Amino acid sequence: MAKTFVPGSRGITGFLEEEERELLRKLFSDVITMLEPEALDSEDPLVALVGFDPHIAPPEDSALRRLLPDGVKDDDEAALEFRRFTERSLRESKIGALRAASLALESNEIQLDAAQARNFAMALNDVRLVVSDRLGIRTESDAEAVHAMQEWSDADDLETYLAVVYNFVSWLQESLVQALAYSLDDEPSPAGEKGEREDRA
Amino acid sequence: MNPTATAEVRLAALTDPEVREEQGLEERTLTDTPWNLVVWNDPVNLMSYVSYVFRSYFGYSQKKADKLMMEVHRKGRSIVAHGGRERMEQHVVAMHGYGLWATVERAGAGGKGQHG
Repeated sequence: MAKTFVPGSRGITGFLEEEERELLRKLFSDVITMLEPEALDSEDPLVALVGFDPHIAPPEDSALRRLLPDGVKDDDEAALEFRRFTERSLRESKIGALRAASLALESNEIQLDAAQARNFAMALNDVRLVVSDRLGIRTESDAEAVHAMQEWSDADDLETYLAVVYNFVSWLQESLVQALAYSLDDEPSPAGEKGEREDRA
Repeated sequence: MNPTATAEVRLAALTDPEVREEQGLEERTLTDTPWNLVVWNDPVNLMSYVSYVFRSYFGYSQKKADKLMMEVHRKGRSIVAHGGRERMEQHVVAMHGYGLWATVERAGAGGKGQHG
């Protein structure tokens, strides 16, 4: 049985059983497969180099669209232009975080430094976005209905199984985020802060 | 060293107006008009995670991060940052990296959220 993540002097530590790690590796790998750009071998090398893709279109799969949402609302043309410049890079950074999270699953004792913990939290979140879409979670009440399904022993069909998976990953992410938030409390200059003061009110 | 440096440098290059101009891709007129970074509610992202992202990425205090997160949760959206367009677009990509849905909009366009 998994244990909650705990912040400590050597980073954040946790514990996952072999079957839980196997499940997470599989989920991370599934999301990586979804995110890998199509037709890699035939593409223009310039597209790969500068990340600008003139032929891009919004993803048809609703789960993939949760991972790669529009950057501009109610303006399809502007949203598509935004995608041309950013989607390739966003796919790559997500794949990077998912791969890094997978590598952190080598043993039952999970040991995460600040960067690994951040990647792990992002990877868990992307898994939750995909599974929630498959479960049809669109509203807060959908989420509450799914939340009621907590027991592996209740998982007798695919949807219930996915709901239990979703709740397990949610619990794990919540635990990791609590540990990360605790770690932020001692940091005078949080990770990721780079001259954002002009954005503060 | 900041663990996010490599990814951010790459993203910065993509949204850098000079880089775009060199590539002949910049057709927009850059103006002084401020832009908003809007984060939208969804039933999936954990409240604690949204607040953590605001704290760790923007360096906001816990109080400010929690206030913005609650605004997202209750009102459906919140203006989390505002400034130049290119900068806000970089923030959008960063928020999408975390799995939060964010968009850019011209300041004054939507106007429902209050910048904290």
